[in-house]
Amino acid sequence: MDYFAGVDIGSTMTKVVIVRGDKIETSLIGPTGPEHRKLANRVMEEALGQARLSFDDLTYIVATGYGRINVPFADRQITEITCHAKGLQSLLPSVKTVIDVGGQDCKGIKILNGKVMNFVMNDKCAAGTGRFLEIIADSLGVPLNKIGEISLTADKIAPVSSTCTVFAEAEIISRLATGESIANLLAGIHDAVATRIAALVKKLNVEPDIAVTGGGAKNIGLVKALGSKFGRELLVPPEPLITGALGAALMGKDIYERYAAEGQRPSRSGKKLEEATFFA
Amino acid sequence: MAEEKKGRAVATSTAASIPKFVRGNMSATLKAKEEGKKVAAAFIADGQDEIMRAMDIVPAWGESFSGVCAAKRDAEKYLQKAESDNFSRSLCTYATCNIGFDMMREELGQAPEGAPWGGMARPDMMLGNGQLLCDPRFKWPQATQHYQQDVPVFVTNMYYPPWDPNGDHHEVEALYVKYAKEELHETVKFCEKITGKKMDWDRLAKTVELSDKTWDLFIDTYELRKHIPTPMDTGDAMNTMVPLTFNLGTQEAYDFYVSLKAELEQKIADGVGVANPEKFRVIWAAGLPSWFALGDFQYFNSKGVVFPVEVTYRGCEKIERLDLPKTNDPLEHIAWRWVRYWTHWYDAAKKRPGSTPKVERIIEYIEDYNCDGAVFHSAFSCRSWHAGIMQQAATLKKVYKDIPILIMEGDIVDISSYNEADTHNRIDAFIETLAASKARKG
Repeated sequence: MDYFAGVDIGSTMTKVVIVRGDKIETSLIGPTGPEHRKLANRVMEEALGQARLSFDDLTYIVATGYGRINVPFADRQITEITCHAKGLQSLLPSVKTVIDVGGQDCKGIKILNGKVMNFVMNDKCAAGTGRFLEIIADSLGVPLNKIGEISLTADKIAPVSSTCTVFAEAEIISRLATGESIANLLAGIHDAVATRIAALVKKLNVEPDIAVTGGGAKNIGLVKALGSKFGRELLVPPEPLITGALGAALMGKDIYERYAAEGQRPSRSGKKLEEATFFA
Repeated sequence: MAEEKKGRAVATSTAASIPKFVRGNMSATLKAKEEGKKVAAAFIADGQDEIMRAMDIVPAWGESFSGVCAAKRDAEKYLQKAESDNFSRSLCTYATCNIGFDMMREELGQAPEGAPWGGMARPDMMLGNGQLLCDPRFKWPQATQHYQQDVPVFVTNMYYPPWDPNGDHHEVEALYVKYAKEELHETVKFCEKITGKKMDWDRLAKTVELSDKTWDLFIDTYELRKHIPTPMDTGDAMNTMVPLTFNLGTQEAYDFYVSLKAELEQKIADGVGVANPEKFRVIWAAGLPSWFALGDFQYFNSKGVVFPVEVTYRGCEKIERLDLPKTNDPLEHIAWRWVRYWTHWYDAAKKRPGSTPKVERIIEYIEDYNCDGAVFHSAFSCRSWHAGIMQQAATLKKVYKDIPILIMEGDIVDISSYNEADTHNRIDAFIETLAASKARKG
């Protein structure tokens, strides 16, 4: 049976998934960073080592995410919008609306049978993205992976009036000075982020089930806050970071099978596991 | 210093002559003084073009100047100058760029060094026109007059009946025409006072006649783009709109479209399209473009996506379709043409429950030009047009069909709103949506 790989180079994290049939053979998550983007091949090497495979064992590779053009060994580039839809269909087939909260952007995707019907994006402003939460966690001196849980211990939501990340940070600091608790402030911050994301996603004709993916889905406080904006519990896949990479691998499988149905086999000749060389 | 700008090719050779047109218009303002002509700071689509042309008044188009600065990626210094006097960036950046330039010119006593093509001359008058199209027209001339206090300003108002699905606009059209005609008469009086010359009404009538011919020819030319593959797309149309928009009532404008029409006919005969293969046809459904990023049209084209039609800068219609009442008064004719241009989609909109004239116009173009999807550009500083774009997109889906729609976000002049990688990512996702939609339909 053939192996297919998906590489999702997001603004913050790089994800690799290798599938065999429809089953995930291995997955790997690592920080993107300026050098990692240059070295997508190293992440792939690690994933192949984890799966005990060689590069030549891969039948087709699809790159996705913000840095997808920086993957010279990929056979095809497909946007993360399409790949998320495909990945979600395989993990949670009942989902019709996806909210992807990434490190630098946020997306709403409407899907039907694994295909994108419509999408909205916020890539203009840090508010409503993981970056906003990172900055606030840093200001409060709380580890990023704890802020969601702490927000759920709040006895009230301390409203944060500013939607601008820079001004919200200043507002948080001044509210701390007046004695507001960290938990209440975090509840306010999560509510503000959820409000902003919901306003974006509601531009779509939102239909249930709704799932959350991306780094934001790992924040239980944000998932709950978002759920309250949509009046329902939101679904989260088992590993919400790899949805795009999984979708990419499955898209590769689909493409390959379409070729095969016509009696063709896409050539991978000339593809080498090497770093992008078009950087200064 | 200007930021690095990528070159942009145009698909038609006729469009390649447009920079000469734009430069000529700006140079004309600089030459006007030695030719004994008056210069008017002017605004597009105001119904005043023929009056200026018939009186040898040289228009200094503020919007054109700002668009050129943006296209050259050299607007920032003018925006910052205006910002230094508290003009917010959320104001129209056509206006703030132009006001910043005016401020600098007044301080220096001449156009600032590095102004595109020498900049524009100090006007002898300003002809504003507050109207439903664009709210800055009310205040822009007055704002810039603060820096040029001796320059007289005349702001008229041209209205058309507002859309009311339950009303009959035909009952009130004549009233609006009467009002618009009076405003145009007052414009003539103002121009006569400033120039010291009387209007030559026969010349005005001939100028208006030439404009009508240009309107007809423009539409005949653009309708050739219905052909598959389309011989010209919106990337070129953002250039080829110049003669209609800035040179209406001149022989040069008419002649330009004669050449363009001949070129498009030849391309059709030769089977030459903008994209090869042409995979998807989409409409530019609303919004001014980001002048600093016109290369994005080529990005679409490189992926097999073409824009055979656009709402933007299609500021005319076949005269016969407007069914204008006969009149010997050229100002009354301009007024009727102005009002009917806006209202002639009203009757069609009424036939489709929930629709609006703007949406009906988009639907008409989608059908006529065989489009698979729609792109809207929401430019944050162009409030009067862009307020309502989301609603238009939603209405289009609701009353017509669920076609793929891309909402692009940016600005007309302010490049700080733009990120090429993000923009191309959105475009790629939209194209994948178009492909999925087409596959669903089989």
